[in-house]
Amino acid sequence: MASIRRWDEVSEGDEIGPITRLLSKDEVRAYARACGVYFPRFTDDEGARQEGLPGMITPGNMSMGLLATLIESWAGAGALTRLGTTFRGLVLPDRTIRLCGAVTQKDDDARTVELDVWLESDEGERLVIGTASVKLA
Amino acid sequence: MPLEFDPAILGKEFDRAKHDPVTAEELIAFSRALGATSPCYIEPGPDLIGHPTHCVRFRGQKFFPDDLPAGLRIRMSFDAGKDIELGVPLRPGDRITVSSTLHQIYEKTGRSGSMVFVVIRFTLTNERGEMVATIDNRMMYRGEN
Repeated sequence: MASIRRWDEVSEGDEIGPITRLLSKDEVRAYARACGVYFPRFTDDEGARQEGLPGMITPGNMSMGLLATLIESWAGAGALTRLGTTFRGLVLPDRTIRLCGAVTQKDDDARTVELDVWLESDEGERLVIGTASVKLA
Repeated sequence: MPLEFDPAILGKEFDRAKHDPVTAEELIAFSRALGATSPCYIEPGPDLIGHPTHCVRFRGQKFFPDDLPAGLRIRMSFDAGKDIELGVPLRPGDRITVSSTLHQIYEKTGRSGSMVFVVIRFTLTNERGEMVATIDNRMMYRGEN
């Protein structure tokens, strides 16, 4: 669980990612199954429409999980200590998303780093925004 | 008109749920579904731990307290976001207990009108009494009280 990012390598303003990916419906279904939320809104277009949605959507928790994965691909497994997110818009599968972040603050005493993170659509709309704390060696 | 409620309902545990032991297969499936590639999240063995957001998989038996203000009980809520504080890692065999409290109720006025936010806090502990995570689930209610 040792962090892969060294404290002295990090500066305020550093960018994290972006990671660009197409989130497929099958990937969303796999997450819904693994998370115990295999509900029509996350697994089936028609079932989601019956709930008033435009089609199946990505669980907010999955968006949060993808941001956590982004952070730890940069900081190292086990480095994340806090993650807060706000779900602002629907994340629809079968579309391109970008996972992005930036270093906003370094705490020299605690050797922690504060981050802004967000998930945006291909059009640049920030659908999920958040802040996070990581502890580096 | 501001939402009225008895502040005594805040911070009071309204649900406690004990979950079956976590399996290695569950931990790995969850991490793989998020594209995690670190060996500690996807390779079976003594070093296997849960993805940091695996904690959201644990819920209580009921999500809202029985004494939630009446004006909110009949309205549809939306998942507005979550805040997670992480404690010790989740490991195979852990038996997680979820304690649920009504943490906060507050109002905001935005471009789309008034909104009420209800924050339900889940505190997850393992069988050794160690804190695994604290999760604040922020639910949003639109419109009139």
